Amino acid sequence: MKFAQAMLAVAAATAMQFSAAPDAFATGKMKCDAGPQTGWKSRTDLEAKLKKDGWKVKKSKVDGGCYEVYGVTPEGQNVEAYFHPVTMEKLLVSQRGKVIFKK
Amino acid sequence: MLRLINKQGFFWFLLAIPAIGMSIGFLRDPVTAFDLIHPSGEFSVRFMIIAMMISPLRAIFGRRRWLDWLLARRRALGVAACLYGVLHLAFYLYDMGDWGMIAEESLIFSIWTGYAALAIFIAMGATSNNASQRAMRTNWKRLQQLVYPAALLIALHWVYVDGEYMGMVVHFVPLLVLETARVILMFKRRSARRGTQAATG
Repeated sequence: MKFAQAMLAVAAATAMQFSAAPDAFATGKMKCDAGPQTGWKSRTDLEAKLKKDGWKVKKSKVDGGCYEVYGVTPEGQNVEAYFHPVTMEKLLVSQRGKVIFKK
Repeated sequence: MLRLINKQGFFWFLLAIPAIGMSIGFLRDPVTAFDLIHPSGEFSVRFMIIAMMISPLRAIFGRRRWLDWLLARRRALGVAACLYGVLHLAFYLYDMGDWGMIAEESLIFSIWTGYAALAIFIAMGATSNNASQRAMRTNWKRLQQLVYPAALLIALHWVYVDGEYMGMVVHFVPLLVLETARVILMFKRRSARRGTQAATG
């Protein structure tokens, strides 16, 4: 019984440990050292540029100091892409986890 | 209140609440399909893991009223896991909206692992009834044991689609700890039995 209780406590503690510290385990797919956000181009500008280039943007957010965009490329691929927030340079594009472009 | 919770129908309703919320959100704004892919998949995994945790918990704690209560609802949890998996696929297909691209993506590792896991879920879900259990006899148990490879496929699907492992780890670690404990206990009990047999024989 003591063993059973100990195992249950380990399971609960492990789950709590991981769920309590999500920031410590950020996605980490791409990191951008882009300085303070005041110097960044806006996400609206990036989305407008991408749409002009033929992309369909579903969603965008900040991840690892980069802009992360979920969308469809002009070629029709559903992708997750990372862009530098100052230069708007394309850094990484992956299709369902498969990297199809990396700078 | 307790009587209400004990009703199977009410338990089904509880399991359906997230799906109802997601469906309402989707019907109001179909663009949300993209945002609903992940949560629907997570609920599928959660129900599968809860269903899978019942056996190791019983092996560790023995017969307990709360475990018997859960055991009586394991079939509902398993079927719910399957149905949330189907919902997950439906949101994905709607979001993709192009059969050519869907076919192209199906060859990607992160995607075919999901399809394979769902195929197992559907087979298990479709036979989760007394008639199938009677008709399939020992094969029914064998089919249900496919939940273990399905769990592995889901873990791979999750990690490779997301490109990170924390979400998967948070969900799977409790199950892994309990299964490990079950195996350790099994060996401990077996060696204790052998010790007793040696002492008496």
